[in-house]
Parts: sequence; structure tokens; C-alpha cells
Amino acid sequence: VTKNSEEGSIFRSQKFTDWPTVKEALIAKEIGGAFILAPMAMQLAADGVPIKVVHLGHRDGTAIVVRSDGGIRDFADLRGKVVAIPSRYANQNILMHRMMKTWGMEFDSMELREVPPPEHPTALREGSIDAYIVGEPFAAKAEVDGFGRVLYHTKDIWEEFISCVLVVHEDLIDGERELVQELVDGIAKSGKWLDEDLDHRMDAAEVAAELYYFQPPELLKYVLSKPVDRVKYTNLAPLEEEFDEIMRLAVEIGVLGEEIAFERYADPSFSRSLDELDWEMDRLPPIPRAAGEEVTR
Amino acid sequence: VKLKILLGSCLWVMLITSLHVQLNVGWTRLASMLAGRQELIVGFLPVT
Repeated sequence: VTKNSEEGSIFRSQKFTDWPTVKEALIAKEIGGAFILAPMAMQLAADGVPIKVVHLGHRDGTAIVVRSDGGIRDFADLRGKVVAIPSRYANQNILMHRMMKTWGMEFDSMELREVPPPEHPTALREGSIDAYIVGEPFAAKAEVDGFGRVLYHTKDIWEEFISCVLVVHEDLIDGERELVQELVDGIAKSGKWLDEDLDHRMDAAEVAAELYYFQPPELLKYVLSKPVDRVKYTNLAPLEEEFDEIMRLAVEIGVLGEEIAFERYADPSFSRSLDELDWEMDRLPPIPRAAGEEVTR
Repeated sequence: VKLKILLGSCLWVMLITSLHVQLNVGWTRLASMLAGRQELIVGFLPVT
């Protein structure tokens, strides 16, 4: 893992534990960019926060999870149930409403309850909710721990589902385009590398588990391989028609106050063809284990 | 005695300055600033 791009620029990641704090850090310019929820990016732009979506974080990587010993067999069985969502501004919330429309159900036919993502598996195990929809690795957590099963993967109900998007300050887009381009290229290159070989995914799981997610590597390995298209890291350019669908649904269910044009919150000009991007690396070396040693590669 | 006071003051100022740099900027960031390298901090939550 390196913090430097090939051009020498430094990229640091800062971990947050809840969405409102990320939002505040963006507004205060404590951070130049962030991976945030797609409808949240639209809302921030509508509120006048000068940020733009320049890339996606991934595709899919979300699932609706129910108890493995319960009787919920399809979406209709969720009628009258309590389903946890990560945030009102999450695309998972939009997806639940999209599914209700598809299944001919009223929007109030189930209770959608906002619960922080790490608490979803515990809430299901304890029975305070009947199901949850969340991004990985918290969907896989209930499966791996043996008390939950996936009702639907997003890849089966909303193809190429968008959850987190990369937003950056407009100041950077206007004044430091090269820096933003380096960041987007780096994410696109690493995504291509991840999707081209299962061994790459296993290496990445080890690194991400220890340095970023603080979860058992086995859990992330499960997420990245069971099945392998559970979450995808290519095709990450923000596309107007996809965002328009999310935006219109968000307006329909009252998450957004009014429609907002794609150009106001997105700038897809940094996304390049993957043919132009390659990472000259095969496998990742193991993480140094010495106590107190800074992990750099 | 004056020399001791002067040296002591200089050391004290250096110590305080170092602590301020460490706390408010950080040595890594200072080094990259002096080297003219650009830096970008990206926030994330550990969930896809």
C-alpha cells in the first residue's frame, strides 16, 4: 500500500464512522473528497455545497438479508416487516422503494428503519428487525456467522447498482484537475486489477481488512468471492441516465425536495477508458507484522 | 550565564516549535509541502 501516486502526489484516507460527520468534514473542507452515498451527494449539491461526483466507488456489493431460520422467501413476505436501511439518503432506501413499486406494494407496506450499517447484523440476530439492506461486508457478516441468508443480491434486482460515489470539492476540479485525475485513475486502475484475477481480490482483502475495515480477512475474502460478482470494481464512470433514475425516485419518495440536473452534482470528465489504464503489479506483498511498524509498501 | 540562558531559550523555542509542527501539521505533511508535492485527503466509511 502506498500513499503516493506514480506522479508523487500524496493521497491519504480518513476513516469516519457515520455519514453526518463525513458530510460536515466535506462542508468544512477538512477533507478534499469522500466516498459518500449517491443521493446524499445530490442533496449536498442541491443545498449549495460545492462538490461533484467524479467516479463511483464500486458496483453492486449490497444485499437484502433475512434470518436463515425465518419464513421470508421473497420480497412480498417483507410486507408488514421491519427492514433496516443504512440511511434515508442511501441508494438502498431508493432500492427498497423501487422494489415496492415493482411488486405492486404501497410505500408504507413495511417499516424502513435507519440503523448504522455495523449494527444491522446484530439487530437481525436479536430480532429487533426482520431484515436489512446494507453494503458489504455487513451483508455477508450474517451469512458467515450462520444466522442470516441473502434474500437478494443487488446484481439480481438492480443491475449495476450504485451505492457509494467519489465526490471532490469543486475547488479541486477547477484548480487542481491533475490531482483529481490522478485519484480517479488510481481508483480505476486498482478496480481493473481487482476484477481481473481472484488472487488479486484475496490479496486486497488481507490489506483492506487490516488497514481500513478492521474486520477479519476471511469475511472480506468471502465478500470478494462468494460469488465473485457480488461486488464489482469496473464500469465506474458516472452515467447520467443511471443517476437520473436514482434522482427521480429520490424525489418521488421525498428524499430530495426537487429534481436536480446531472451537471450540478456530477462531472464525468475524469473517467477514462480502462484500456488506457494498467497497473504494473501482480500480487501484493504481505503486511509487515512488527509491533508498532508503520505499514508502507 | 547569559550564554546558558540564550542556549536554553533557543532549545526551548525549538522544542515548542517542533511540538506545534507535529501537532498542527505533521512531519510527513510538512515534508511533502516542502517537496512541493500535492496532497488530498479522502474520507470513507468502512462499508461498500
